[in-house]
Amino acid sequence: MDLLTAPFEATRRRAPAAVWRPFVAVSAIMLAVVGTGRLLVLQGGALADLGVAFEGAGVHGGFIAQGLVIALAGQGAWAGSALRVAAMLLAGFLLGRLAPWGGLLLAATPLVLLQECRRYPILSRIGALEPVRPGSLTIGFAVGAFLGAHLLITASLTFGYAVSVAGASAFAAAVAYDVGANALSAEWLFRGTLFSHWWRYWGFWGAAATSTGLSLVRYLLDPALPHTAEARAGAIFYLAALGVATSVLRAWSGSLLPGYFASVAFFAAYRTLIVW
Amino acid sequence: MLWEGGAPVSPVRHLFLVPPLWAALTAGAQAGAFVGLMAGFLQAPLVLPAIERVGLTGGAVDGLVSLVTPAVLGAVAGHVRDQAFAGARRLDALLEIQQRLAADEPMAARLDLVVHVVRDCLGARAVGLVVGSPEGPPAVASAPRGAALATCSAAAWCLASGKSLRSRDLATDPRMTLADVSPSPRRAMALPLDAGAGSRGALAVEWRGEVPEATARAATEMALHLGLGVENARLTLRQRRFAAELEERVAAATERQREIDRAKSEFISVVSHELRTPITALEGFSELLLSRPVPPEHARRFLGHIHAESRRLGRIVTELLDLSRIEVGVAPVLNRERVDLAAHVERQIELFAGVHGGHRFLWRAASPLPPLHGDPDALDRMLQNLLSNAVKYSPRGGEVRVSARAGPGGLVELAVEDQGVGIAAEALPRVFDKYVRIANPETASVRGLGLGLSLVRALAEAHGGRIEVSSEPGKGSCFRLLLPGGGGISPDIPAI
Repeated sequence: MDLLTAPFEATRRRAPAAVWRPFVAVSAIMLAVVGTGRLLVLQGGALADLGVAFEGAGVHGGFIAQGLVIALAGQGAWAGSALRVAAMLLAGFLLGRLAPWGGLLLAATPLVLLQECRRYPILSRIGALEPVRPGSLTIGFAVGAFLGAHLLITASLTFGYAVSVAGASAFAAAVAYDVGANALSAEWLFRGTLFSHWWRYWGFWGAAATSTGLSLVRYLLDPALPHTAEARAGAIFYLAALGVATSVLRAWSGSLLPGYFASVAFFAAYRTLIVW
Repeated sequence: MLWEGGAPVSPVRHLFLVPPLWAALTAGAQAGAFVGLMAGFLQAPLVLPAIERVGLTGGAVDGLVSLVTPAVLGAVAGHVRDQAFAGARRLDALLEIQQRLAADEPMAARLDLVVHVVRDCLGARAVGLVVGSPEGPPAVASAPRGAALATCSAAAWCLASGKSLRSRDLATDPRMTLADVSPSPRRAMALPLDAGAGSRGALAVEWRGEVPEATARAATEMALHLGLGVENARLTLRQRRFAAELEERVAAATERQREIDRAKSEFISVVSHELRTPITALEGFSELLLSRPVPPEHARRFLGHIHAESRRLGRIVTELLDLSRIEVGVAPVLNRERVDLAAHVERQIELFAGVHGGHRFLWRAASPLPPLHGDPDALDRMLQNLLSNAVKYSPRGGEVRVSARAGPGGLVELAVEDQGVGIAAEALPRVFDKYVRIANPETASVRGLGLGLSLVRALAEAHGGRIEVSSEPGKGSCFRLLLPGGGGISPDIPAI
């Protein structure tokens, strides 16, 4: 019991945070990469594919790098790890543009990230390395599937949106994108890093509300989100529910994986919705 | 079933309230809110399309209200239920803590039971209890067991300073030195056990994950009760010790009182006998002289007897007078002068040797013997008592050794040693008490008032000296009379 045994010094104060400088640097690099990608897309032609890959790798790699910086408090060789994950993402996005099934490579990104996590035992604090019970993974998947199914039923009943899978390769690529980029980076940054960090200081509801709010901002700024009012209202409702649910799963299980499974299941369901 | 003509069927939709209410009442706020949310989610596909079709009408608003009602109801009902249960659990725990602390067991065992009760009540991961002790290191108990108290720890700081400590997360708390990578925050509190009379200990509680404010308040409340309980336990223990000590003292005093009563009864009987003997002799011889003519030689002999018996009577009365003076705390009056100790001792030995021919008396004095200033009469009485004791408790043919020499600190030591029955070690402290005659089957026939040694001590102390005794049962006793020499006399005594 640490209160009885661990050394304690009543007057010791927290050292100044060393996280801001690397965080700003990562954010600047992220914007630069995304900007470069946008420029390349605007150039059109073969470079457009590279531009899209830059955009995807820049955004999701940037989120993962930001998460690493915060989780490691700006210490350690986070830059190398972030670069390796970003390179994997770039390869996945690029291959997805070049070949119909190429995007499946993105699904390997979690493995690369997991390998990088093993270098830093302190990442257990964000739930990245915690052992997880199979039952909690099942519950996480069920939560995501429930929200996804609810989304499909409500959207189809309310707005008449169709539920359909355009093609196996396109659906698989979309799911791989969620597995390796979208759900991964969102859960890593918003639940893994930010929620875990704020939870220690603000309590569960403060951390869950703030991290979910930021993740909502991230999705509302995503140009891929349909621009209709009902789609945005639905996004706010379901992503807020998903955010709170994954926060609960993270707090309950101690691991990021159940929430990540819930996200993947929800977005996989969302990929079958045709919004017009 | 739930939908009829574009409006929800009101009586049926209220059935959605049943599951969250049931969950709230059986499993608490979290379950109630969760089931309520599920109920709301299940209703949503029915309510939202209606809003889409007919717009935000009164019926639609009613539908929206019925959408959120199950979750709110589940959360609120569950919260009320949780609070009631927590209150009852806390009350049970407090009662159990008071009972445990009041138990007649060692403090460590009591604390060991208490920490488990506190841990269960607060839903904590670990609980530590430290109770300071004025007699030694603090008593420590922890659940899980096995944690020892480090002097530089937070609990030790809390115990020493009487201040409380609250940490939102031990792993990231800058005041702690920990290498902890747990995925959940580790909330912690260290609270002084202060019931108003200063900090008596510290309660340390560690949680993993979320800690409701009510639980934190409960921990504070528990620390206060623990403080009271520990203080009560301490007072009870002190009271028990005091009662036991008092009981022991009363028993000893009662036993002593009984002994004194017995001694007094015996004393009265002995005094009566001792007084009766000379009085009878006085009466008898005086009657003989008065009742008939007695030849002069017989009359002289009778008068000699009368004189001896009246001296004996006088000595007894003097001793009784001295005793009464000692009883009221007045020291015997002494007429100090230069005393030739050797001459006094030799004279007394000669007298005793004349009367007690069956004993051998040996006298040895150091040369030169330091001068002694005291009351010659008192000195004679002390010598007579010591010699009389030595003779009474020695077998016929026994040796009585008397010696004198310079003692420590300017005192003159006069020792009277016999080869008598001796005195048991446990009886030695009482030999100088009044009326006390040490029970010994071998000396049961010896008569005496039980005052001699008591008078010797009183006279020795009146001189500014003391008397000591050493004895070995079956081998004999040695009484050492230590009296101030010439250098120790008070200024009012004229120098020789």
